[in-house]
Amino acid sequence: MVFSSHIFIYYFLPLVIAIYYLLPWKRNLFLLAASYVFYGWSDPRLVALMLAATVANYACGLVISSPDATQSRRKAALIVSIVASLSLLGFFKYFTFAGQNLSGLLELLGSSPLPIVEIALPAGISFYTFQSLSYTIDLYRKDARPARSFTDFACFVALFPQLIAGPIVRYNTVAEQLVHREHKVENFASGVALFILGFAKKVLIANEIGQAADAAFAAESPTAMDAWFGVTAYAFQIYFDFSAYSDMAVGLGRMFGFEFLKNFDAPYRAESITEFWRRWHISLSTFLRDYLYVPLGGNRRGARRTYINLAIVMLLGGLWHGANWTFVAWGGFHGCLLAWERWMGKESLYAKLPRPVRVGFTFVLVLFSWVLFRSETFGDASAYLSAMFGMLPQASGTPLLGALLYTPTNIGAMVICEVLVLSPIQAHDWVERITVQRAVLVLLVFLYALATMTAQSFNPFLYFQF
Amino acid sequence: MEQTRSANLLLALVFLMVIAVEPILQLTHDLRKGATPLAFGVFSRTPSATNLRAFEETLRDQSILANTVRPYVQYWRYASMGDLGRNGVLGREDWLFYRPGIQFLVEPWGDIEATEPLTAIVSFRDQLRAQGIELLVVVVPGKESVHPEYITTRAPRFSGSHVTDFVDDLRELEVEAMYLRPDEAQRVGPPKYLKQDTHWTPGYAQECANLVAARALALGWIELGSAAYGTQSKPVQRHGDILRMAKSQPLLESIHKEKFEAIQVTEPDSLEHYKDSPDASVLVLGDSFLRIFERDEPGSAGFVSHLARALQQPVTSLINDGGASTLVRMELRRKPELLRGKKLVIWEFVDRDLRFGMEGWQEIEIPAPN
Repeated sequence: MVFSSHIFIYYFLPLVIAIYYLLPWKRNLFLLAASYVFYGWSDPRLVALMLAATVANYACGLVISSPDATQSRRKAALIVSIVASLSLLGFFKYFTFAGQNLSGLLELLGSSPLPIVEIALPAGISFYTFQSLSYTIDLYRKDARPARSFTDFACFVALFPQLIAGPIVRYNTVAEQLVHREHKVENFASGVALFILGFAKKVLIANEIGQAADAAFAAESPTAMDAWFGVTAYAFQIYFDFSAYSDMAVGLGRMFGFEFLKNFDAPYRAESITEFWRRWHISLSTFLRDYLYVPLGGNRRGARRTYINLAIVMLLGGLWHGANWTFVAWGGFHGCLLAWERWMGKESLYAKLPRPVRVGFTFVLVLFSWVLFRSETFGDASAYLSAMFGMLPQASGTPLLGALLYTPTNIGAMVICEVLVLSPIQAHDWVERITVQRAVLVLLVFLYALATMTAQSFNPFLYFQF
Repeated sequence: MEQTRSANLLLALVFLMVIAVEPILQLTHDLRKGATPLAFGVFSRTPSATNLRAFEETLRDQSILANTVRPYVQYWRYASMGDLGRNGVLGREDWLFYRPGIQFLVEPWGDIEATEPLTAIVSFRDQLRAQGIELLVVVVPGKESVHPEYITTRAPRFSGSHVTDFVDDLRELEVEAMYLRPDEAQRVGPPKYLKQDTHWTPGYAQECANLVAARALALGWIELGSAAYGTQSKPVQRHGDILRMAKSQPLLESIHKEKFEAIQVTEPDSLEHYKDSPDASVLVLGDSFLRIFERDEPGSAGFVSHLARALQQPVTSLINDGGASTLVRMELRRKPELLRGKKLVIWEFVDRDLRFGMEGWQEIEIPAPN
C-alpha cells in the first residue's frame, strides 16, 4: 500500500487510528495485524515470507540473549541469523542478477548461456532484513535487551510506517517504545504535521518534477541544457520522494507514539560528499557505519585500510540499492570521493573556498552520481553524461523535448525545490512547535495536496524498488 | 503555550475529520442509493494481489468526493499553469498536443518498434493473401509529426524519419504501405490537424482518403465503382479530444469550441448520409482516425466515407479507438465474416502506435469466413 494513495489516506489510516486509540490493550498486536494487511496489500503471499524471517531472527535472538548460552552458541546463533537474513535478501534481490552475469560470462567463454529465472523483488525486503539483523547484532553486542514477546519483535519488524522504504529503524532505538510509549496530543499533532508535509512533498513536488526527469532520461538525444535540467529534476525528485516517505513514516510513527530518527537533514546543503552522507539516508549510512565499516576496522588501521573500508562500504551500499552494476558504480563513485576528501584533509585548498562554491561543487558531483543511479546500463549513463557536455548528436525530435521539460509546472516546481533544499529549516524542525498559524497553513497544504492527488495516477515511491 | 495546545488540538482534529469524511460520504451515498457500500467490495473476492489492486482502483475511480473535486483541480491547473494533465501538452498559439505523440518523436527508436510491428503486419498480409485478399497498410502521422512548429519554433519542418524507414522496411518485405505525411506542396495552406484534437481536419482526412483510393486503384487491386456519391457541407463545433481527456467540465466550459466545415458524403441520388455495406469489396480497419467525423458528428464526413466516394463504391469498416495495432485484428478474428467477398483490406494506424499501440503488436490468427 502506498501512503499517498486514496485507500491509505481515506480508509486504512482512519480505521487504524480509530481502532488503535479505542483499544485499551494489545495495541502492538493490533499494529502488527494492521502492518501485515498493509504489507500484504501488494501481494498477500509476501506476509508469509516476512513472518518466516521474523520467526528465524526471533529464535536466534532467544538463543543469543539466553543467560545460559555459551559464547560459541551465541556466536553460532548470530551467524545463523546473518546468513539466513542475507540469504533471503540475496535470493530475492540478487539471484536473477547473478544468473545474468554468470550467463554472460559463460557466453564470453564460448559456452551456451544459462536460462534466466526472473524473481520478483518483495517490497521492503532490503529494509526489514536490515532491521531484523540490527536486532540480533545488538543483542549479541549486548547493546539491547531481548524483545518482551514475539509480538513486540514482529511488530518492530513489520511496523507499517517505516516498513517499505525506511528509515531503517534499529531495534535499540525503539526497544523501550515497544514496551511503553506516551500518547500525547502534542506528539500526535506534530506527527500529523510531518505526515502532511511529507505527503505534500510527494504529491506536489516529487510527482510533478518526476515527469521532467523521466522525459529527459527517456529522450534519445537531449541537448546539454535539457540534460542538466533533467538530472537536476531527478536530484530533486529522488530527494523529495524519498524524504517525503521518511517524513510520512516518522509522522505516522509519532501518531502511534513512536519516535523514529530523522533520515534526511538538508543533504543538498552539504559542503562535501562526506557531509552529504551525514545528511542523506542517515539511517542507512549509520547502519553501514556501525555494522560494516566499524567491524571492518573503520579508520583505526591506517590510511590505506581506511580507504579500502570506505570502498567496500560504499560498493556494498550501492549494491544494496539494486541488483545492477550501475548501482555498484554509483557506490564506487561516492566511495572514491569520500576517500579523496579524506586524503585532502581539512586544510586543503578546497576547504578554503567560499561556502556557496563548495555547496555548488558538491551538488554537481552528486548530480553526476545520480546519472549512474538513474541509468539502467552504463551505455545509457555514458550517453546521458555525453549529453550533459553537449557531445551527443542531435536527433530530429530533440527540439521537441523542451515542450515536455520547460512547462510552467516544471519550472515552478524547480524553483520551489531550489528554495526548499537550500532552506536551513527542514520539516523536522518546523513541526517541533505547532502554532495556530502553522496548523492552518499545514491543513491548507493538506487539502491542496489531497485535491491534487485526485488528478494524479498511481505513483509509487521511488525507493519501493530498492 | 496555550496557543500551541489549541493549535495541536486544531490540527489533530481537523486532520482526522478530513481523512474520515471521504469514507463517510461514500458510505452514505452508497446506502442512499441502496447499493452495497463500495468499501465492502474487499470482502467479495479472494484477497489476491490482482483483486486487491482492482478493488483499490475501484475505490479511487468511483469515489464521489474525488470525482467531484478532480474536474475543478484540472481546471485550476490548466488556468494557472496551462497544465492539461497526463496526456495533454499546451503548445504555441493555444495548439494542444498529445504527450505520447511527442514522446514518440523524442525517445529513441527501439528494437521493439522495429521488429514486432513488421512481424505482425507480414503475418497478417500472408493470412489475407492465403484468402485471396490484398493488404494496403496506411500509416497516419501523428499531429506532432505534422505540426511540430506549433510545439516549438525550433522544431524541424517534419518529424518522424524513423517511420519513413519503417515504411521502407515494409516495402522491402513486399508489403504495400503508405505514410500519409503531407509533402511540401500539401503543407502550404490551412493546418492539416485540428487545434484542440489529436486528429486530422476533415479536409486532410478527405485528401488522404483520395490518396489511398488512388493508390488502391493504381495497384489494380480494386476497380473503380459506379456509385456517384454526393456531398454537402456541414458546420461543426466541438471540443477536441485532448481537452476532453482532462475530464473536466469547468475546463471545457472555459474554452471555446473549435469551429470548422466538414463535407458529408451522401448516398447516390439521395440526401441520406453514406452508409457502409458489409458486401463491399474493401474492408477498412483502423482507429479513431477513421471514427472522427464518420461516426462522430457530423457523421459520414470522415476518411471512410470519402474513401468510398473516391472509389465510387461502398466499403466495410471496422474501427477500434486506439487499438489499431492489435485489438482491431482481434475483433476481426471474432467477426471473420467481414472478410467474405473482400478483395482488399486497408489497415490504418497512427505512427505513434508503433510504440504505444494498445496490447502491442501481436500476431493474430484470422480464420477464413464460413
